[in-house]
Amino acid sequence: MRTKQQRLCNRILVAAMLVLSLFFLFPVIWMLANSFKPDGAITADMNSIAAFIPPLPGRGFFANYTAILTSTGFVRYMANTLFYAAVLILLGIVVNGLAGYALAKIPFPFREQWLLVIMMLLIVPTETVITIHFLIIAKAGLLNTVVGYILPMIVNPFNIFLFRQVFVNLPDDVYEAAQLDYCGPVKYFFTMVLPMSKTVVATVSVFTFLNVWNDYLWPSLVFTSSDLLTAQIGLNSITSNDNTTMGQTLAVITLVTIPVIIIYSLFSRQIVEGVTSTGSKEG
Amino acid sequence: MKRKNSIMGMAFFGPALVLMTLFLFLPMVLTFGFSFTDYFALNPELTRFVGLGNYISIFKDELFVQSFLNTVRFVLIIVPLQCGGALLLAMAIHHGAHCKKYFKVAFFVPVVMSLAVVSTLWMQIYSPEGILNTLLGHLGINAQPFIHSARQALPSIAVMSVWQGVGYQMIIFLGGLQNISPALYEAAEMDHATGWQKFKDITLPELKPLCVFVFITVTIGAFRMLVQPMVMTGGGPDHSTYTIVYDIYETGTVNWEMGLASTMAIVFTVFVVVLTIIQNVLTGGGEKGASTESRSFGFRRKGAGSGRPGSEKEESHADETTKTM
Amino acid sequence: MSFIEFRNICKRYPGAGKNTVDGFNLNIEEKEFIAFVGPSGCGKSTTLRMMAGFEEITGGELYIDGKKVNETAPRDRGIAMVFQNYALYPHMTVEQNIGYGLKNMKVPADEIARKVDWAIRILGLEEYRTRKPRNLSGGQRQRVALGRAIVKNQKVFLMDEPLSNLDAKLRVSMRTEISRLHRELGATTIYVTHDQVEAMTMADRIVIMKDGIVQQVGRPMELYDHPVNRFVAGFIGSPQMNFFRVQVDGGQARFLDGTVITLPKEARERLKGRTGQLVLGIRGEDLKTDAQSVAAQLEGRMHSVIVNTEVMGNENNLYFDFGGTQAVARVSKYEIKEIGDSVEFVFVPSKIHFFDPETGAAV
Repeated sequence: MRTKQQRLCNRILVAAMLVLSLFFLFPVIWMLANSFKPDGAITADMNSIAAFIPPLPGRGFFANYTAILTSTGFVRYMANTLFYAAVLILLGIVVNGLAGYALAKIPFPFREQWLLVIMMLLIVPTETVITIHFLIIAKAGLLNTVVGYILPMIVNPFNIFLFRQVFVNLPDDVYEAAQLDYCGPVKYFFTMVLPMSKTVVATVSVFTFLNVWNDYLWPSLVFTSSDLLTAQIGLNSITSNDNTTMGQTLAVITLVTIPVIIIYSLFSRQIVEGVTSTGSKEG
Repeated sequence: MKRKNSIMGMAFFGPALVLMTLFLFLPMVLTFGFSFTDYFALNPELTRFVGLGNYISIFKDELFVQSFLNTVRFVLIIVPLQCGGALLLAMAIHHGAHCKKYFKVAFFVPVVMSLAVVSTLWMQIYSPEGILNTLLGHLGINAQPFIHSARQALPSIAVMSVWQGVGYQMIIFLGGLQNISPALYEAAEMDHATGWQKFKDITLPELKPLCVFVFITVTIGAFRMLVQPMVMTGGGPDHSTYTIVYDIYETGTVNWEMGLASTMAIVFTVFVVVLTIIQNVLTGGGEKGASTESRSFGFRRKGAGSGRPGSEKEESHADETTKTM
Repeated sequence: MSFIEFRNICKRYPGAGKNTVDGFNLNIEEKEFIAFVGPSGCGKSTTLRMMAGFEEITGGELYIDGKKVNETAPRDRGIAMVFQNYALYPHMTVEQNIGYGLKNMKVPADEIARKVDWAIRILGLEEYRTRKPRNLSGGQRQRVALGRAIVKNQKVFLMDEPLSNLDAKLRVSMRTEISRLHRELGATTIYVTHDQVEAMTMADRIVIMKDGIVQQVGRPMELYDHPVNRFVAGFIGSPQMNFFRVQVDGGQARFLDGTVITLPKEARERLKGRTGQLVLGIRGEDLKTDAQSVAAQLEGRMHSVIVNTEVMGNENNLYFDFGGTQAVARVSKYEIKEIGDSVEFVFVPSKIHFFDPETGAAV
C-alpha cells in the first residue's frame, strides 16, 4: 500500500521518536539507576554513561532501600496511604454512585437543577476552598485525624457526573424485573447497578487511588502527627532531612512511584478511558 | 409513587448532598463572605466588614501582583509547549507505523508520577553539580544555576511541568486522531493533497474542538501552579516562582488572613470560570466539543440537561420496534 | 367477581392533553390467555405496565383476585412478567437469573434448586445453566426470561411483546412453547403484541386497542368474523380485508368506478333497508374466483384484470384493480393466474361486511 518514500519517512519518524523518548525518560532512568548506588558512585558516574546504568547486583545493592524501609517511617506512610485510598474508594463509590444513580434514574424533585449544579461545580478550582476546608475541619476538632482528612475528600462532583452518565443508559426493564424478584432499590444498586457498571466503577476507583496517592496539599495541611502521614508528605519530610543521602532520596521517590506504576500497568485501559472522557467533562 | 420517588431520590442523593453542602457550597459561600471582611483566623472576634477594601488592596499588594505576573509567565511558557508538544507527539505516534504502544507508555509515565515525586527528582536533576549540568557540560555549555537563580527558576519549573503533563494531553489528542475517519484522508489523497494540506484541511479542523479544550484546560492547569514551586523553591528565589494559588494558600493557612485569602480566591475563581465559559463559547456550546472522545463512555452530552423523567416514556420501549402490520 | 377486573382504567401523563389509555374495562377469568393487540402507541403496553405497577394508574380501579391493587407495589401484586428485551441480569448465570426471585423470597436453598431444575428442564436449558446471558442466543434468553417468571408460582403472567426480538422461525416455535406452558401451568396470562397472528394463534380472548381505547374484546374467530368496526376488520387478518366505497340504493351497490352489482339477499337483509354511502368490506378468501363459485351466483359477478400476484404455494394472492381501488383475492394453488389475465369473481354473500363511512362502525 505505502510507497517506498512513505516507508522511509516513517522509519525516520519512528527512529526520531525513539531517540526523543529516551531523552524524555532520562530523568526516570537516572532515578532508577542511581537509587541503587551510594552517593559516591552517583557523583563518580555522573560524567559517563554509567550515570544511566544501575550497578551490578551485589553487596549493598539495596542499601538505600533498606535504609529507607528500616530507619524511617516510610513503610508506615505507605500503609497509611493504602488504607486511606481503600476507604476513600469504597466511600466514594457508595456516596458518588448513589448520587449519580439518583440523578440518572430517580425522578425526584429538582433533579435536573441538581444535575446542573453538579456540572457547574466541575469548573470551580478546588484549591481555593482548601483553606476553608482546613478551617471547618479545625473548628470540628478533627485536625490531625483520619476522619478529618477523609471527610472532605469523599464527595466528588466529577465522579457523580461520570456515574450518572453511565447509569442513565442502563435499561429500565432490568430494574422492573428486579422489583418483581423482590429486590428493593438499595439492594438493586449494590447487587445489580454496580456489577453491571464494572468499567466505570474501575475507572473511578483507579482515579480515586491515584488522587489519594499523589495528593500533596490537603494531607500536608491536615496531618501534623507523623503517625498519620501519607506517602507524599512522608517523602517530603524524609528528603528534607539533612541526613538523607541523594541515593536514599532517589530510592524513596522510586518507592512512592512503584504503586502507581503497578496500578497503571494493571488498569491502563481504564486510565486512558478516564483521561479521554475528561474531554467531555466541560467540552 | 411521586412521594416514593422523592423519598428514594433524597435517600440516594442525600449523603452526597450533605457532604457537598459542607465541603463545597458552604466553603464557597464563606469564601465569598470573608472576601468582604478582614477575617483573621487566629482572632475571629475582631472581624470587621471592609466592603471592597480587600479587592482594592490585593491589586495594590506588590506580592500579589508579582505572583500574578509570575503565574502569567508560567502560563506563557507552559501553554504553547505543552499543547503543541502534545499535538506533535500524538501525530507522530499516530502516523508512525511502529512502537505505538511503547510511545504511549513512555510519554505517559511522568503523568502518573506525583507532583511531589517529580519535583523532588528534578531538584536533583537541576542541582548545580547535577546530571543535567553534567550533560550540558559535554555539549560545551557552562553550568547553569537553574532553580537557584531568580532568572532561571521559573522557566526551569515550567519546563519540568511540561515534561510531567504533556503525556496527558497527548492521550487526549490520540483519541481525537483515532476518531477522524480515514476516508477523509483517502478522499484528500484522491484530490492530490499534500501532507501539509491534509494536516491543515483535515486534521486541524477535525481536532479544533479538542484543541480548544486542551488549550483551556492546560491554561487553567498552569494558572493553578502550586506544588512544584512549593517543594522545589518555596516560591523563591526572591519570590520569583511565587504563584497566585501559592499566595492564597500562604495568606490563608500560614498568615491566617482568611479575608484577604478569600478575596484572592474569588478573583482567581472568577478568572478560571470566565476562561471555561470562553472555551464553551469557542466550542459552540460544547455541541461538538468532546463528541469525538466521549464515545468510550457512551455519553449523551446534550441529554444531560434534559433527562426526561422515567415515567414519561410513553410506550416507546414496547412499541418502537413495531413496524409490521 | 372476576379474577382480574379493570374498571374504567385511565392513564394520563403529566402535561399530556389527552388520556393515553381511556376508560379501559375488562374482566379476566382465571386461567384465561388474553392478548392485547393494536398498533404502536395504542396504549396496550401502558395498560400492561399499569397492571404490573410500573406505571401509575391515574384513573379507575384495578382488582386482582378480589383486591384493589392500585397502590400495591409491583412485587405484591402476585404477578410475573416477561419483558420485550428479556431484562436478564447480565452478570448472573442462567441458574442464578431464574432463582434470584426465590432467593429474595427467602425460599430454602434446596427448594430453590428443585424449582430451578424443574424450570430449566421444562424449557430445555440444561446445557446452558451456567452460562451468562451474553453467551446465549435470543431464543435462549427468552427461555430464561420465561423460566424466571414461571418458578415464582405467580397466578398472573404478563408478557410484553416477548417474541418481537426473535427471528420469524423462532417466533413460531416460541409461540407453541408459550401456549404449551400456559396449558401446563394454567396461569392467567396477559400477552401484549402488535402482531395479530400471535394474538389470533395463542389467545383465548383478544383485546384490540387503538388510540388508548378498546375497540373490541372477543374470541379470535369472533373478531375475525364479526368485527365491530372498520379498524378491527382491517387490523385482523392478512392480507388486509378489501374495502370499497359504495353507494347503496335499491338493493344495488354502485362502486366508485361505476360498476354496479346487485347485492345478494343476505347482504341486503343485513342492511335492513339502509341506503346511501357505505364501505363494503370483504376478506380476500371470501372473494371467489373459481368457476364453481362464480357459476353458483347469478347476480353480482364482477370482472377485472390481474395486475400483480403473490405466490406462496399454499396460499396465493391475486391483485387487481376494482371499484376504484386495488383488491386482493386469496386463492388456492389451483387458481393461480398470470399478470394480465382477466378474472371473474364473486363475493361470498354471507361474508360481506358494511361499515359506516364516517364512524367506521359495522352496520
